[in-house]
Amino acid sequence: MTDEPTPATRTPAVAPMSRRQFLALGAGSLGALALTACGQGGGGSGGGAGASGGGKTINFVTAKFESTTSMQQFVDPYNTSQSNYKVVVRELPPPSSSTEVHQQLAQQLGSSSGAVDVFTQDVIWIAEFASAGWSMDLSSEFNDNDRSAFFSGLVDACTYDGKFVAVPFYLDAGQLYYRKDLLSGNNLVVPTTWDSLTQSAQTLMKKGTKLGFLWQGKQAEVLVCNLVEFVGSAGGAILGPDSKTVMIADPPAVTAVQFMYDTMNGLGITPKGVLSWDEEPSRKPFTAGQAAFLRQWSYVWGVSQDKAQSDVVGKVGVAPLPHFPGGKSTACLGGYQLGVSQNSQNKDGAVDFVRWMTSEGTQLKYAEQFGSAPAVEAAYDSAQLKKTQPSMVALKTTFQGGTPRPVTPKYPQVSLALQSAISGAITSGDVETTLKNLKSQIEGIVKS
Amino acid sequence: MSVSLSPQPREEVAGAARRRRKPLRLFSSEVRAGFLLLLPTVVVVLAISLYPVARTLWMSLRNTSPILQQDDYVGLRNYSGLLTDSGFWNAWRHTMIFTGVSTLLETLLGLGFALVLHQAFRGRGFVRAVVLIPWAIPTVVTSRLFGYLFDGQTGLVNYLLTQAGLIDHNINFTGDVRTAMATIILADVWKTTPFMMLLLLAALQTVPKELYESASVDGASPWRQFWTMTLPIISPALLIAALIRTLDAFRIFDLPYVLTGGGPANSTEVLSTLAYKTLFSGSQYGLGSGMATLMFVTEALIAIGFAVFLVRRFAATGT
Repeated sequence: MTDEPTPATRTPAVAPMSRRQFLALGAGSLGALALTACGQGGGGSGGGAGASGGGKTINFVTAKFESTTSMQQFVDPYNTSQSNYKVVVRELPPPSSSTEVHQQLAQQLGSSSGAVDVFTQDVIWIAEFASAGWSMDLSSEFNDNDRSAFFSGLVDACTYDGKFVAVPFYLDAGQLYYRKDLLSGNNLVVPTTWDSLTQSAQTLMKKGTKLGFLWQGKQAEVLVCNLVEFVGSAGGAILGPDSKTVMIADPPAVTAVQFMYDTMNGLGITPKGVLSWDEEPSRKPFTAGQAAFLRQWSYVWGVSQDKAQSDVVGKVGVAPLPHFPGGKSTACLGGYQLGVSQNSQNKDGAVDFVRWMTSEGTQLKYAEQFGSAPAVEAAYDSAQLKKTQPSMVALKTTFQGGTPRPVTPKYPQVSLALQSAISGAITSGDVETTLKNLKSQIEGIVKS
Repeated sequence: MSVSLSPQPREEVAGAARRRRKPLRLFSSEVRAGFLLLLPTVVVVLAISLYPVARTLWMSLRNTSPILQQDDYVGLRNYSGLLTDSGFWNAWRHTMIFTGVSTLLETLLGLGFALVLHQAFRGRGFVRAVVLIPWAIPTVVTSRLFGYLFDGQTGLVNYLLTQAGLIDHNINFTGDVRTAMATIILADVWKTTPFMMLLLLAALQTVPKELYESASVDGASPWRQFWTMTLPIISPALLIAALIRTLDAFRIFDLPYVLTGGGPANSTEVLSTLAYKTLFSGSQYGLGSGMATLMFVTEALIAIGFAVFLVRRFAATGT
């Protein structure tokens, strides 16, 4: 009898971790195998057929972005446009499973097999991968002039330790959705400061709008995005430009976090429900017509204009997020960016392919087929984008205010510390002490 | 040697040892064949059970992080850090509370349901099947479902309570530190009570009907029958069911991860979510493995506690 519980204990206790690791490992090695097979297939056909146009293989490992066309179909025009290189796409899980994407990328980039040439990475992993030595420094391949084609916030996010280690691909940013009909019906203007947003929300709530201003306060990554925006709009930051100075307990940050708490308490414009809301739970009341203002990503635009999912079709406006006096509107940057593996056996080809992917023409086509906002600023002035993605054009100003989350290789740990402490601060209202403790905690992380 | 092709010299030695003790000619080749047939099982068990545990233990003594390219032996530093880390103990406490309360409620409710569904009534088979539905729903779906039901603004539960006049303002179930854990426990009870019911229903069916008949003849009330007959007879099954449920509840991950992300203010952070975040989001393999190991230790202690209790019970009843 005594023997029995032991195996039973052993399995549950450590299995969640180990099983995952085991699976991830399995998936990783399977993936690597598949890649090798693809690589050999591609290389073989190129080499064997001689001049038949296969070229050297470029392995492009990418998250699976949602679209009716596959990524392989999307890059095929590149393959047919020249005969030196042949891009072979291998897809990872979709961005919604970002932890799994991260895990598989880390495994494949970490092994020096050269199975990855070009990869897509979430904007918050760039510093991490670069400091691990997995991303190639592209500073000399993309000069200042090349870089100035992209939104400046994205270029900052792609720069680690003074090196340009990733190339902007597409972006997303937090923005303010508002009800055009409610504002104009009550002679209110689109708010540019938090004060005016608060007053408008209070006015509208008095007149019967159920909810004033919605944002995302769930103890999760999205809370850090909201934090970056509130703190940035007060003129503060989480980390200084040197990635070492911790500014989270400075007065602007205190003002911002205090405001986050106040929206739910003193000001009464935000329901306390946001403390457990991430993207979708906060989107639903807004598209159901119950709320006046919403902080969200760009996908909400499409949803809000879809009659099947929205009661406010044609009544929604988008604007840059408000700011505090003395600060400026700040939008947290998201999106996947391109990297070239340091272990790539074919760096010239990889860089050439990245150039093609980030050229204005490709970006416009990508925006059309995948619905993602181009990283190239000039794309927003093109007639083509106005035709294919009219709502995106209006977001240009928001994207210009795009601000990266803290750029540090320790970002994952910093983010977890932020999520836990900020969730505490906006729940208890004990802002100053919490931020002071958080500051020393983050200092411990970034300095070690 | 008669057979020199055996791929497992060790088993051959074992076989030989046995042969010396019991010189049966037929036995040795049978034993060898037996061991050979067992080999795949042993390999599989070692590979999927022992190896990951050993590897986690090993990693918990290192500061492994693929991102920071560290992989050094640090001895017990991960553990000493964890034992003084309030975040870890916070999660440990939540896990214990969750495990204790949810297992207790599920056992009691499961027993109640089992007793009801053990009675004969029309449509019993149908009700038994229906009751099992919550258990068949994937936990992630349950989590989302409860998220919408118990939403602080638009949730159905708040609406119903308000309509019934029980509350005058909405309760922020998942967004308030005072109610978030209770909501998660409620979701777990809803989901897992059917499982306990199923186990206990099976146990009830082992109680001989004649006992009830003779007890009734002797004039024992149903209450008396339950306490002196039913409960003692099913108690081994009850304890084992509770043990299984406890060990399972201790690993709780998907409910808090999806419903609250461990928040608000860490009020629903449990060991599994914390270890997952540390290991996979934070890429601190060493520290995360340390957490997993401490989870393992806690669970082992719980299991040993149950085992000792069970053994004592069996010794007392002489079963």
